[in-house]
Amino acid sequence: MSKVMTMKEAVLRYVKSGDILFLSGMQHGEPSAAIHEIVRQKIDHLTLVSCLVATSNLMVGEGLIDKVLTGYANQDDKRSYAIAKAKAMNRLPVFEEYSHFGVSLALFAGQMGIPFIPTRCQIGSDMLKYNENIKTIKCPFTGEKTGAVRAIVPDVGIIHVQRADAEGNCQKWGSVGVDQEGINASRKVIATTERIVDSEVIRRDPNRTTIPGFRVNAVVEQPWGAYPMHLAGCYNGDMWSYYMETGPQEGYETYVEQLVYGVNDWNEYLEKMSTLKGADYFDRLSINPILSEPIITGY
Amino acid sequence: MNRDEANMEYTAADQMVVSGAHQIRDNDVIYVGLGLPFLSTLLAKYTHAPDSTIIIENGIVRTTVFPLPTATDTLGSQTMSDQLTGLFYVNCLGQAGHISTGFIGAGQVDRHGNVNDTVVGDYLNPVHRWPGSGGANDVMSFCRRTIIMLRQSRRRFPEKVDFITCPGYLEGIPGQREEAGLLWNTGPSMVITDLGCYVFEDGEMVVKSIHTGVGVTLNQVKAEVGWDIRVSPDLEETTPPTGEEIRILREKVDPNKIWVGGKRRPVGED
Repeated sequence: MSKVMTMKEAVLRYVKSGDILFLSGMQHGEPSAAIHEIVRQKIDHLTLVSCLVATSNLMVGEGLIDKVLTGYANQDDKRSYAIAKAKAMNRLPVFEEYSHFGVSLALFAGQMGIPFIPTRCQIGSDMLKYNENIKTIKCPFTGEKTGAVRAIVPDVGIIHVQRADAEGNCQKWGSVGVDQEGINASRKVIATTERIVDSEVIRRDPNRTTIPGFRVNAVVEQPWGAYPMHLAGCYNGDMWSYYMETGPQEGYETYVEQLVYGVNDWNEYLEKMSTLKGADYFDRLSINPILSEPIITGY
Repeated sequence: MNRDEANMEYTAADQMVVSGAHQIRDNDVIYVGLGLPFLSTLLAKYTHAPDSTIIIENGIVRTTVFPLPTATDTLGSQTMSDQLTGLFYVNCLGQAGHISTGFIGAGQVDRHGNVNDTVVGDYLNPVHRWPGSGGANDVMSFCRRTIIMLRQSRRRFPEKVDFITCPGYLEGIPGQREEAGLLWNTGPSMVITDLGCYVFEDGEMVVKSIHTGVGVTLNQVKAEVGWDIRVSPDLEETTPPTGEEIRILREKVDPNKIWVGGKRRPVGED
């Protein structure tokens, strides 16, 4: 059954106010187009779980986030206008801090369907004093002290991939950050993809499937859907320009006005960006492709 | 090339990078954090440690050199890796004891090697706020030895950090790391700054060498530490860079001058 729909529809149907939202793409191939659509639809009171997702600052700045479960996030209003703006609106999120592996483990426990997972990170640090979802426990077998991280089960997860079929079988390659555990822990899943491919393409290389179709609720075809981040095999990113532009007040406000609320969808965004940055801007982000030998399957 | 040969003007930041590289041994498996540690690791790879393995937290495992990344994950740091996986996998390598060497930057480091990347002042009402651990806590919890690199000042070297993001030797009591549940035989092994190099003896930071080649004195070192720091009886002058090391640093590791003077160049100049 095809789950293909527009970004507008996917976000409207599957992201609800109050949700715990997982965003994939740890500094690689984040679902930027979907994030911009959530901001446009002003879906609020979200709890955000992600690692190093650059454009999530828009959700914070627009006051949509109640809580951030994070390993690393700018919380300094002197260095981030998004934080300052949220603070001024009295919408500064609560930051619940983990190490990066801590976030990954919490999501992995969620994927496994277990209540918590033991670990040897974070213990001995002061993170435990302020995060009630990290504790120390006694190993039931050896009696030795170990850390424990509580599972996170996001209500909805969004992943951007290089290719998916209409049923939602998703294939992402390159570094995968916390994608695997985060998207598989999520109850509902939105897949945005550079390209919708025939299911035969997926089935000729099925080891690459990140999450199977039956776990996916919506499929959205969106080229350049991870811009301004890079995506393996597709394009380079322009992350630092994004940070520089949306860091200070004026740049941030211009950006949201023109490129979030001032457009209807991502294709309009891309057109506008190309007008602002020059006609050859996206060409300059192209890659020199390296092809691998195809794997062989069959019987 | 002889160390004394000319044409090798270098800065304190170069010395930091080179001292970092000298800590890396061939066949090391290095979990590397953003910034100067990347320069050191690549320099070592180009020189005396060609068989080292580099691990980047986004899920990158590689044994070949690559263009210096402006963030941990770029298509340059991904392309032609030995293995591309995720954060979970590479940290499992660490937690199971397979990573020999950690290499991180830091906001502050204290007398017992505890690192603060979180907050100065009260957690709920901070004087200064950093973004938090990232992978640093994982690196220092898991690696056999961890090298910490940061610019030195009294403010960055307090006797006791306000917040322990990455546990060092805690209060310096023997066995305290293990009692907290951390892996045996792990912890910070060296701190490298723009002034000198420091090691840990009985869980306490000790001055090991001074960057005399860039004019640093012991008094200067002591003035930029927030407690009366012990000095090693075997105090040395830091091994200066060779001309070859500086040449490789300039021409191969960072030809586009992404890092200048130990700081990332403003992006507008890219």
